[in-house]
Amino acid sequence: MNSLWWAQIKAVIHLEFKKTLFARRGLWIYVLAALPVLLYVAFAFAVGNRQHHSERIAHRGEKQLTYQDLSAVRTGMKKDEVIALLGKPPVADHWTEERPVVGGPNVKVAHEEYHYSDGRSDLNIGIADGNVDYINLSSSNDLGQDSVMFAGVFQFFFLRLAIFFGCLGIFMNLFRGEVLDRSLHFYFLAPIRRDVLMVGKFLAGLLATCVIFLTSEILQTCAYLWHYTAAEQDLYLYHNHGLEHAAIYAGVTLLACLGYGSFFLVAGMLFRNPIAPAAVALIWEAINPFLPAVLKQFSIIYYLKSLCPVEIPVAPGTSPLFALLISNSDPISAPVAIIGILLVSAVALYISSLQVRRMEVNYTTE
Amino acid sequence: MSDQITFEDVSKFYGEILGVNRVSLSIPSGITSLVGPNGSGKTTLMNLMTGLVRPSRGQIRVLGYKTDDPENLFKIVGYSTQFDAFPKGLTGFQFLYSYLRLSGADSATCERLSWQAIERVNLGEAAHRNVAAYSKGMRQRIRLAQALAHDPKVLVLDEPLNGLDPLARSEMIALFRAAAAQGCYVIISSHILHEVDVISDQVVLLSNGYVVAEGQIQTVRNEIQEHPTQIMIRCNRPRELAAKMFTSEHAIEVSIHKDERGLLLKTRDADRFYLALNELALNGIEIESIAPADDDVLSVYEYLIGNEEVVR
Amino acid sequence: MAVYRRSYKPYAGTLTPAWSRFLVIFRYSRKSLFRSKVQTGLFVVCFFFPIACLVMIYLAHSAGFLAKIGIPSQILSIDNSFFFRYMSVQGGLAFLLTAFAGPGLISPDLANGALPLYFCRPFSRAEYVLGKASVLVILLSAVTWIPGLLLFVMQASLEGTSWAWTNLWIAGSLILSSLIWISILSLLAMALSAWVKWRIVAGASLLGVMFFGAGFGQAINAVLRTDSGYFFNLGYLMATVWNALFRTDRMQVISISQAWAALLFYCGVCLWLLLRKVRAFEVIR
Repeated sequence: MNSLWWAQIKAVIHLEFKKTLFARRGLWIYVLAALPVLLYVAFAFAVGNRQHHSERIAHRGEKQLTYQDLSAVRTGMKKDEVIALLGKPPVADHWTEERPVVGGPNVKVAHEEYHYSDGRSDLNIGIADGNVDYINLSSSNDLGQDSVMFAGVFQFFFLRLAIFFGCLGIFMNLFRGEVLDRSLHFYFLAPIRRDVLMVGKFLAGLLATCVIFLTSEILQTCAYLWHYTAAEQDLYLYHNHGLEHAAIYAGVTLLACLGYGSFFLVAGMLFRNPIAPAAVALIWEAINPFLPAVLKQFSIIYYLKSLCPVEIPVAPGTSPLFALLISNSDPISAPVAIIGILLVSAVALYISSLQVRRMEVNYTTE
Repeated sequence: MSDQITFEDVSKFYGEILGVNRVSLSIPSGITSLVGPNGSGKTTLMNLMTGLVRPSRGQIRVLGYKTDDPENLFKIVGYSTQFDAFPKGLTGFQFLYSYLRLSGADSATCERLSWQAIERVNLGEAAHRNVAAYSKGMRQRIRLAQALAHDPKVLVLDEPLNGLDPLARSEMIALFRAAAAQGCYVIISSHILHEVDVISDQVVLLSNGYVVAEGQIQTVRNEIQEHPTQIMIRCNRPRELAAKMFTSEHAIEVSIHKDERGLLLKTRDADRFYLALNELALNGIEIESIAPADDDVLSVYEYLIGNEEVVR
Repeated sequence: MAVYRRSYKPYAGTLTPAWSRFLVIFRYSRKSLFRSKVQTGLFVVCFFFPIACLVMIYLAHSAGFLAKIGIPSQILSIDNSFFFRYMSVQGGLAFLLTAFAGPGLISPDLANGALPLYFCRPFSRAEYVLGKASVLVILLSAVTWIPGLLLFVMQASLEGTSWAWTNLWIAGSLILSSLIWISILSLLAMALSAWVKWRIVAGASLLGVMFFGAGFGQAINAVLRTDSGYFFNLGYLMATVWNALFRTDRMQVISISQAWAALLFYCGVCLWLLLRKVRAFEVIR
């Protein structure tokens, strides 16, 4: 009997893949997963270009500068002091401004902008009438900042939006889509137990989402590390927990697919219009940080956030509301988080198996 | 294992709308036709016996199997539904093959069975085309192929001849007859009463969710006492024969056929009339043919269901 | 009737004006609008904020009452910012209404093969789209500029004609900003409804375009350290346009012309999608 069920499950998975995942109608899921990858590829190009630009400016400078030299400039300093400190600017812009004066003729103000670089960080100095008016010191990316950026994008965009909508589209359609297509009866007319059918469809959806979004996550990691040198990548991956973080993000991606997938599977079976529960879920996940501790547990993102390896620091001056959103005020341990998601999924699948046995084919009411 | 398809006091309500009510049936092997007007419950009955809907009350068994046991039920049942929709993106062959694989059979077996079914419905040339691009008749045939592919013992066919050209219809009818001859249970719903007449071994007449009559057509007709049997007699001297019939106690009404070569008789006791006819037809009256005029499905339908609609 | 007279004759009566035929679609589509209790409930909820605004306008002119309850009258200021906030809230509710009402416009016709039935009659695609759009236009107008104008009239009647003349431009801004947002929502809803045959998926797509677009835009801004991500945020683009129309001084990252260009681009894409999908036939190979 087990071998029969496995053969049937494999047949269901194969059919689902043929109908949806390898068909044009499944294209949007690939686009959803590819967008963050493209974003990081663009990021790598942008950073690479910026670094080349910085190196060019540094190379054209009078002398080799350090970050300490660049950060020594203060507003109010004289132009000559700046040149004495940093040398002649390798890139300089000049323009004149006519400032209106009350009760008198306009006054001409000479503006200059100097660009310096140490090869990694860029300094733009604005000079008005021979005095430093403004300073703009932009540091190059470092792996610490980039990993925080990755963590932010992963938690707030990839998990809550990309995987959420991807799972919504795939799992909701497993049964509800068949009803709308009026093709569910073909499955029910096959000599296959309905719960075996449900398991097969769920595994098809899970396999698809896991493969697509896991690949996306791996490619995102590769893309955002791309512009670093081999030595820097080596140091991060093998000595600064980089590989461990990448593995954890992969695990979180899999658990997100499992959690959201089982929720949308049961929503698609219980509700004629599963968009309503999906909208509720979207809002619920969004307001999760503001909920009391007891209610927080009824959320997938609550467990997933606790598993993420990099915490997003709260910058000073951040509003309390935003700070509550980005920080993890009630973290739970990894085993509890994993068990929580597995439990949520198990309950959802159990409800689905009960529901599928009770399902009737009556397309005229849809 | 039972050798019939049984409905035991089965009712199905869709909310407040009646699907079928208190249906008790035993369907033997052979070709059984479900006949009734639109909304009478034919499709509901078929959906009930295939487990696509659950009865509100009562029990259904198909050759001993419960309808909530799809794993065993659909090894012996094939159902061609009325739904003209198919899974997207599949060709005719892929459609048959993929759903056969759900039974757990290996790839080679499924491929062989798929091609066999495709050949039986003459869709060989279109097998590798997308089902969405099929004509109505082709879609009907691929539905039939899907029902036949695994050589089921029970074939449930909802309006199987819908959309087929005359040649395809006669081929399908021959196929159903061959299946019935091999001991299969073929349950067909149809509105084409003259075809039902020709192919059916027994009929089930439905109206407003109730079974109005079931059995062989002649048996059903004989039980309709309120409508006298009509007999068409072709002879050379119909007026003379008609005059003699009025002397017989079995004739209720006699009318001369407009071509003056026959007459239509109504009688409540056809058997006794036939016996009496031997004496009545003496003295030079040549009788060319005698045949019942109203023991077909159409007449039975009009008597049992048509009258109800008129009364309504 | 004699047999020889029983033949087909075309209709010989008066015809309705050609320009009004698209209203036939509106007449039948609107019947299905309020079948859903959730949708009807949401429609009712859309009037809560205008009623609250009406109360605020009244209170702003009841200095004595405000003094009694200890609220300084300067807090309630009925000006362009007030109407900008009104537009922001009602614009959000209009989006939610569209998410429920919009997907059912074209998807069912596509799924059930009704488009050939429309286009085999003297009925153009433009009329069809106009008819479907009119459902949303009228529905969303009822929750945006119509109550907004009523609030303006109420304020003008309490404040006096000089206020009305000086601030008449606010009324124009109300109408214009509402119509722009209604047009965008209608085009988006219809394009998604035409592109996916399932009403439910069309609804999900509409939610996705708004929320996913905003999220993706934020991700772009965070990763690339730019402001270009705001071009993916329809809500932000619209708020930029409203900001200019209501002359409020909120800080905007992208210019008004850029916002207009982006919105027109989205409208163009929606129109293209509609052109591709709303046809009398579908070719399947």
